[in-house]
Amino acid sequence: MQVTRMRGALAVGLALGVALSPLAAMASDNKIALVPGGPHPYFAPWEQAAADAQKDFGIASVEYKVPAEWKLELQTELFESLAAQGYAGFGYFPGDAVGVNSTVAELKANDIPAVALGGCAQDPTDTAFCMATDVYASAYLGTKALIEAMGGKGAVVHLAGLLVDPNTTLRVQAVEKAVAETNGAVTLLQTLGDTDNQEQGDQKINALLAAQKDQIGGMIATGYISSVVAATALKNLGDKKIKLIGIDDDKIVLDGIKDGFVAGTMAQNPYGQGYIGAYAVDLLAEGCTVKADAPFITTPQTAKFIDSGTLLISSANIESYKDDLKKLTGELQASFKDKFLSCS
Amino acid sequence: MRSFFRLQWSGILVGIIAGGIALALSAPAFLSEFNLFVLLRSICVSLLVAYSQMVMLGVGQMNLSVGALGGLVAVVTGGLMDALGVPTLPAIMIGVAAGGAAGFVNGWLTVKTGINGFIVTLATASAFAGINLGITKAVPFYNLPADFVAFGNGRLGLFPLLLIVPLLVTVVLALFFSRAVPGRHMLAVGGNAPAAQLSGVSVPRAIISAHVLSGLLAAVAGILAVAQLGSAQPTIGSDWLVISFAAPIIGGASLAGGAISIVGTLLAVVLIGLIQNAMVLVKVDPYWVQFLLGALILAAVWFNRYRAVRVGES
Repeated sequence: MQVTRMRGALAVGLALGVALSPLAAMASDNKIALVPGGPHPYFAPWEQAAADAQKDFGIASVEYKVPAEWKLELQTELFESLAAQGYAGFGYFPGDAVGVNSTVAELKANDIPAVALGGCAQDPTDTAFCMATDVYASAYLGTKALIEAMGGKGAVVHLAGLLVDPNTTLRVQAVEKAVAETNGAVTLLQTLGDTDNQEQGDQKINALLAAQKDQIGGMIATGYISSVVAATALKNLGDKKIKLIGIDDDKIVLDGIKDGFVAGTMAQNPYGQGYIGAYAVDLLAEGCTVKADAPFITTPQTAKFIDSGTLLISSANIESYKDDLKKLTGELQASFKDKFLSCS
Repeated sequence: MRSFFRLQWSGILVGIIAGGIALALSAPAFLSEFNLFVLLRSICVSLLVAYSQMVMLGVGQMNLSVGALGGLVAVVTGGLMDALGVPTLPAIMIGVAAGGAAGFVNGWLTVKTGINGFIVTLATASAFAGINLGITKAVPFYNLPADFVAFGNGRLGLFPLLLIVPLLVTVVLALFFSRAVPGRHMLAVGGNAPAAQLSGVSVPRAIISAHVLSGLLAAVAGILAVAQLGSAQPTIGSDWLVISFAAPIIGGASLAGGAISIVGTLLAVVLIGLIQNAMVLVKVDPYWVQFLLGALILAAVWFNRYRAVRVGES
């Protein structure tokens, strides 16, 4: 009787599983980890992305694992520990764009695929591909939006993030290009580096405003914390004359847009990076390979770059931008397998 | 003049005055009210961090957990106010008490295990930072009471309201180490622990007291950082370690223990703040800022050493 009941329950469960979840057919036994370079609020959406990817794609386990500090060696130790625990693949933000490659090579030698998310490893690398914001395009478009907000003239300050981050160099170049295109109507007053730390940034940005607020027409912040600190500083100063374009959608920056102290911010798509990244790693762990003729973009860092999307958040779309990013993620995921992978 | 140069901190004061004059001439905005406010506000947290380490150097120990402990108190206090809706004053008191308790743990472990405080606090620093991340998951606490944040950004002319706290602490510490018995005991233990023990001073008690005091100071620094930044960021304290040692040592504290200088530490913090301010004002290439910062601090130390040799200081 008990056996019959159990069989019945199993049959109902299987029937429901097949009927309600077409993705169950794709279920894998893989344990996947999403590993940022260190603790940073930018990666917070990866936790939800991991949970959603596990559920939506029927992956055995997708975990968000954060190294205790932003140090390559700690990230490396975490990779090794997780690999020893049977993790089948990784989506990671490189703790160091070059330094991470030796670890990725070791992982590949053990048939453990890795994809770079949010930031790229430097070629040559065994990382399958890199899906991130096109930082050059984002900084360029942000600076163009800033120049427009300034009325096409004035002096710009670039609040840059960590100087050791290779993305910072690309952002510096992009800001310089956008400024140069104004043929002198807009000038780059100063580039302030290492402002992507709350305490250092607060001191530097406030000192900058104290010294030069009358000369500054606009500020482009290309670091997460830099944007938060600059938005706070302008609000404390009560200054709406200086235009600010930030990056990412921290609550303080969004409040600044609503209050009129921030002209806009360049949204990135960390959720989409984590969600699609976990999906792709699972497929790679299942034996799919990267197509040789996949439509990758070539950047100064890698020849296998996928743009995860960016858009300008301003007062016009502040209520709807999350839907736009979701739509972007859905479109990218729907065509991802066919465009970039070859699965037998 | 010779008696002025006999003062341990006179070289630092000369450096501050010379640097201030040079900056005023090269960047007139240096003397603007807002810039002086920014400069003074930037030293508030640093001063407490430096005092936190100075206390430990005084007793002949080191506290590597100053930043992690301050950061933990920052997120605990911010979390109490944001997530649990605890009013400002009780949240601050709980935060300070947590700092004292963490300091006590450092001191108790040091005394009971007999392991050097350097190692103990190296381990507890990791533990405190881990609790910080466990609580926040790297996401800051934002919704803090308006009056608390207003205090962090408030000013009377060029005088930041935030500065009231470190100035009060400076006076209390000066009295504690010059007049109070426990303060004198700490320095006695730092200078010569066996001799202090033979004189009836309880070395374990002095070490635990120093750790508690260091924890309380780091806790107050963490809370001030939250008020200043307007949010309880999990990264608070992550770069405190260097200044925590640099300022007291530039100010004249002995790494061997037993000798500290509160005025010297205060002036060293002002000097470092001035140099950081100058980097922005004179538009130093961002890739060379770290080098120049180090070189100028070395120059200040060298100048003070030169002065000490000239006046025959040991």
